[in-house]
Amino acid sequence: MKHLFVLFCALFLVAFASQNAQAQCNAELYTNLALRQLAPGYTFVKSYRIDGKDGQRKKIEYTCVFSKDTNYMLRMAGKDGGARGLVATLYDAKRAQLTSSYYNNKFYDGWTYKCNATGIYYLSFTFQDSQSYCGAAVLGFRR
Amino acid sequence: MKFYQLSAKLYKHGLVLLLALGLWACDGSSPNNNQGSENTNPDANAETQTGDSTDMAGAEMRPEVITDIIQSIPSPLEVSYLIKEIGTSYHRDALNNSESVDQYTNNYKMALNLGIYSTDLGYANIYDKNQDALNYLNAVKKLADGLRIGEFFDYSTIRKLMQNNGNLDSLLQQTTSNFEKINNELNRQKREYLSILILTGGWLEANYLTTLVYKESKNEKLKEKIGEQKIVLDKILQVLKVYRSKQNFSGFIADMEELKRAYDNVTINIKVGQPKMELIGNEIVMTDTNETVVTITDQDVDKIASLVQSIRDKLIK
Repeated sequence: MKHLFVLFCALFLVAFASQNAQAQCNAELYTNLALRQLAPGYTFVKSYRIDGKDGQRKKIEYTCVFSKDTNYMLRMAGKDGGARGLVATLYDAKRAQLTSSYYNNKFYDGWTYKCNATGIYYLSFTFQDSQSYCGAAVLGFRR
Repeated sequence: MKFYQLSAKLYKHGLVLLLALGLWACDGSSPNNNQGSENTNPDANAETQTGDSTDMAGAEMRPEVITDIIQSIPSPLEVSYLIKEIGTSYHRDALNNSESVDQYTNNYKMALNLGIYSTDLGYANIYDKNQDALNYLNAVKKLADGLRIGEFFDYSTIRKLMQNNGNLDSLLQQTTSNFEKINNELNRQKREYLSILILTGGWLEANYLTTLVYKESKNEKLKEKIGEQKIVLDKILQVLKVYRSKQNFSGFIADMEELKRAYDNVTINIKVGQPKMELIGNEIVMTDTNETVVTITDQDVDKIASLVQSIRDKLIK
């Protein structure tokens, strides 16, 4: 009986450790860093976790409803420093790519999208040469 | 007990435990707060610009899809800014009276009015009406406490920002962050049905203000904004229908479906253009040259306005 108990405890610890072996992604910290990069005049409306679960998740996607005659600014910050390793791509409702923060082999902190068509958009975050797979993005708007 | 019997038992129990723990360990993938979805089906929630989508009535919806839809609903601040931009005066009497807060005693009413008050709070802030904003802040705090999510609403920081006449951006940023925290917490607690009620309340209040201001200003941008809400209403209904069996939901869904029918004649079409990308300094700027054309008549607006008002009246009483 004692052996059984020890075995159960050991198995429990192994399972518990494997649950927590994955590095935590403190997205809130990066949200605050990204917020500081929103240009004056932009009002913060959404934040997005970019948690790649140590590389297990290749793409994290969010749906957005954007409004006509509104400028949207996206800013990112991540564990690799600035927006390094993070790519934010915007697609329209038909999944045609509109813009990306990775341009000419360079990581940009985000982009500004001048919207003239109200509708559904898809905001997709991927990783490129990332060491940490962890960050956050914020979205601000200006009319 | 003989050794081989003990071994067999150990083997059997160990195997069962291993299986159970293995399953538990594999379940670490349940969506965390506001995590987005790893979309494997790109068209899973695609819809036309007219807002028509698959009817999800009574259908199961993956938690991460619900979270994504909730996250996609635009902030009422966008509408409040537009209303102010048009140059209309502050409509204090149109807002929900902050003193009514004590009459909302069940979760359903508390969540919906938390949304309504949050829109009123943002609206009062944008118009720099400090005393009203403080009253709405107190109402929001009371309802958040009632829903057991008050600890995620940093009342004292927001109050300080208001009293110090701090800059509006910081105030709105702090308020928005707090509402996100509330949503995330409800998501964590698996109480997303409250999140959708909060957001629907906020959306209804913003729509109510828009229709009210349109009646007096006849501003075309507002008319277009009212028509565009067809897209958001469709998203809201998708999530509400998931909770059809919850108390108070079926009547509310019926009201919202009636509102959806009032949008039947509203069309949202796209004039296709070519997006233009520029690199301005260190900034990627993409200008959309697609353009939405919203077709909505004054009769449509009247019908929508009257339904929005009657639904809202039921909620704030």
